[in-house]
Amino acid sequence: MGVRGLTTVVLDRIVLERGPFRLDADAVFGPGLHVVVGRIGTGKSTLALALAGGLAPVSGTIRLEGVSRRLWVGQSPWHHLTGATVEDEVTSWGLSAEPLLDRLGLAGRGALDPFRLSRGEQQRLVLGCALATDADLLVLDEPFAPLDVPGRVALGRALGTRPGVTIAMTHADLHLSHVTARWRIRGGRLDPEET
Amino acid sequence: MIEFAGVSVRNLRVERLAIPAGLTAVIGTNGAGKTTLLELCCGLLLPDEGAVLVDGRPPREADTALVPAFPGSSLIFSRVADELASCGRFAGLAPCEVAQRVEEAADAVDARHLLDRSTRSLSGGEQFVVSLAAGLAGRPAVLVLDEFDGALDRESLIGLLPAIRAAGARYVLWSTHDAALAAWADHSIALEAGRVAATGPAALALFEGWECAA
Repeated sequence: MGVRGLTTVVLDRIVLERGPFRLDADAVFGPGLHVVVGRIGTGKSTLALALAGGLAPVSGTIRLEGVSRRLWVGQSPWHHLTGATVEDEVTSWGLSAEPLLDRLGLAGRGALDPFRLSRGEQQRLVLGCALATDADLLVLDEPFAPLDVPGRVALGRALGTRPGVTIAMTHADLHLSHVTARWRIRGGRLDPEET
Repeated sequence: MIEFAGVSVRNLRVERLAIPAGLTAVIGTNGAGKTTLLELCCGLLLPDEGAVLVDGRPPREADTALVPAFPGSSLIFSRVADELASCGRFAGLAPCEVAQRVEEAADAVDARHLLDRSTRSLSGGEQFVVSLAAGLAGRPAVLVLDEFDGALDRESLIGLLPAIRAAGARYVLWSTHDAALAAWADHSIALEAGRVAATGPAALALFEGWECAA
């Protein structure tokens, strides 16, 4: 029902499979920022997809409590673009274009085809819209990758202070502050990381 | 040298720039023109005005390889081994030569275990490693890596650096938002709003400015 303090994602002994790949997870993600790390090919994107509702576990259950709106932002920002112009893109999220584009450093670019933006600018646009919609559950797959240094610092700050549950799959976590919990995927298992 | 003279394309304007042999880091904020500069160096993009020359010849006459940050949509073949073999096969090399290059390239990036995988099943980081191996198998003179730190975890990244050095490419250019990785290169070029803002140590110093301004 979107009661903020009770927003929780429960992975109840789930098993995810994609071809020969298998990932076991038993975890609770409460409100705040969760960072999931792991080497390439260990299953970060697979877990992100499952959290987004795009992949059902072969056993166990994923329970979303207090989540009325969840959002997933994948590794390729251009896959999220649907508007013919940058401005259309923002309004398609139900947001008003001008102030947001201003804040994202894209002022005056509203009439442009979003595919004319650089990859980093596309990422800024998509993440800016996603963050502005206040999802109860926000799942991000490598959100820092194409961002420049100021963008990484700003994103790190925004993720650490937003309400709801935020789960970021990343290996570039230098710019993250206010991390609630860190998790690591290794050898086909998700485990909390000792701090 | 890779030389730029009076180059104008998209938002990039470079009156004069000479990139020496070795590893060159290209840095800059989003939209500064990094990808445009890299695409010019490997001949994927031609300037509207001016010229880019690699050792006196157009890039399209040189052996070049471009590895995009998330190369998912540029992997052509369904099997990894075929992707690595593609450059040699297109060049009409003898099958045994192709096979040898595939093995060497796979070993260089520690990707032998991926050879029989379907390219569609690779993760973002694995796609990058495969794309790099496919580039190395072509033994390019110009090797261009667009934000290769974006797709890779730290351990994988550090593991690949020696292979990139040892690849024998006369010019290696990479764009990055990672100050340490930029410093690891032999040379650096900083772009701002489509112009070369600084080269060498002065370019690296711009990172601190970006960190502080944020």
